[in-house]
Amino acid sequence: MIRFEKVTKSYPGPGRPALDQVTVDIDKGEFVYLVGQSGSGKSTALRLVLRELRPSSGRVYVAGKEINRMAGWKVPRLRRQVGTVFQDFRLLPNKTVAENVAFALQVIGKSRREINRVVPETLEVVGLKDKAGRLPDELSGGEQQRVAVARAFVNRPMILIADEPTGNLDPATSVGIMNLLEEINRTGTTVVMATHDHGLVDQFRKRVVELEHGKVVRDEAAGSYGFQH
Amino acid sequence: MQLRYVFTELRSGLRRNLSMHLAVVLTLFVSLTLAGCGMLLQRQADKTAEALGNELQILVNLCVNDDPSDTGNCEGGAVTDQQSQDIRAAIEASPEVASVEFQSQEEGFAEFQDVPEYEPYFEGPDPVITVDDWPPQYWITLEDPERADGVVSAVTGLEGVSSIKDQRETLEPVFGLINALKYGSWIASALLLLASLLLVANTIRLAALARRREIGIMRLVGASTLYIALPFLLEALVTAVIGVALAAGALAAFTKFAILDGLENAIQFVPWIGWEDFVETLLTGPDVSLPFSGVDVPIPLGLVVLGPALTLIPTLLLTRKYIKV
Repeated sequence: MIRFEKVTKSYPGPGRPALDQVTVDIDKGEFVYLVGQSGSGKSTALRLVLRELRPSSGRVYVAGKEINRMAGWKVPRLRRQVGTVFQDFRLLPNKTVAENVAFALQVIGKSRREINRVVPETLEVVGLKDKAGRLPDELSGGEQQRVAVARAFVNRPMILIADEPTGNLDPATSVGIMNLLEEINRTGTTVVMATHDHGLVDQFRKRVVELEHGKVVRDEAAGSYGFQH
Repeated sequence: MQLRYVFTELRSGLRRNLSMHLAVVLTLFVSLTLAGCGMLLQRQADKTAEALGNELQILVNLCVNDDPSDTGNCEGGAVTDQQSQDIRAAIEASPEVASVEFQSQEEGFAEFQDVPEYEPYFEGPDPVITVDDWPPQYWITLEDPERADGVVSAVTGLEGVSSIKDQRETLEPVFGLINALKYGSWIASALLLLASLLLVANTIRLAALARRREIGIMRLVGASTLYIALPFLLEALVTAVIGVALAAGALAAFTKFAILDGLENAIQFVPWIGWEDFVETLLTGPDVSLPFSGVDVPIPLGLVVLGPALTLIPTLLLTRKYIKV
């Protein structure tokens, strides 16, 4: 589903590359943690999957397509197959929960009828059915992140990318988000989650890919966060 | 495509940047009005030149006895038949000349006598002007009223030529004024068009900043670039349409009150521009063609094209920059 072939990404200026000859293969339906210290290249890897960046060398395949050579006008179609969740939620403050989720469908041209059907369904999945009319400010951090997950998942993407989704949340709330991501993973969606959270990684054992200075130093099925931490 | 979002955004975008949009509309209005005035003046100048140019002739006065000419061509007294024939030959040899007519002293003097106001000059026992004072003349009609330098210089130094009168010189101040007005309005409109371009650019920058969050999310969830840019483009289009409409109104008023009701009644010896020229200024603009040899493709630069182009092109370029996927 996602394949990196000897991917190197250097940013302009001196210093070592953010990713250095990274080769990783993620199958359909997998749940993969991307771990490593700040600056180890996790975010760069995720942005390459979204084609917000292009590799300096090597190839990135998403859903069978080599995306670094994809024409610019096809990029939106790629992104419709990849849902994204961030540490800082990125909700629109002047829209209600339901409107925030519906927005993701409106702007890709879905019909109003489909939106009216899918949005309540998705809100039920994330457990926010009774808060559809609230504004983001009126919700807790965990609830806001659930809205963001709903928005990422509402279009039923093949891949869900989560960049430190629990970074702003307390441990109990984080477990709730993890349960939600697991549930989404069970529907067949491939989940890639970059995280710092030892507790979660050790508690929910999944495949762990560890990056250090832009290199893959560990790729372990059902791994722990790591020994040195 | 579901356009509800686009129109909601358009409304809120127009409201949010109301002062900027007003500034764009006003500069666009004034600059397009000036550009339109320039185009109308151009048409007026062409029309005047076309109507009058063909009637304007060049007049060659030949020498008479005791000719007052200071050219030195009349030292030998009145023009001889041989000199007159040489002058005619020189005139006819010029490619600029369409035709030439000879008017004898008697014919010229007779025409002069037909004007009652001139009676004091030729009546009485010792008149101021007699038939001998009236110069024989060649009347030259030109192929192209704009080009007469060749024939004038060919004739100037010839023996027997007293003076050359170019009737076009009488109209020079009129054309000078029209041209000065035309270039003045074009320069002013160019400066204002530049100002409106910069205003559009600033408006887009502000609008993109205000919508930063939405744009980020739209890109992330896979909205197409066109969809993201559409509210910006529609905003630009709305301001352009208002600007063009105001300019068209101003130019219509100018055509109606200044030309049709004013100048056309006051000065009747030149043909004046009318509604046809007004419509063409709006739609097709000046006669500009692509400089490909053999291919004559007119570029429509009328106000209805110019106005939207001026706001849409910078918008397209800048939105590409700010909302790059």
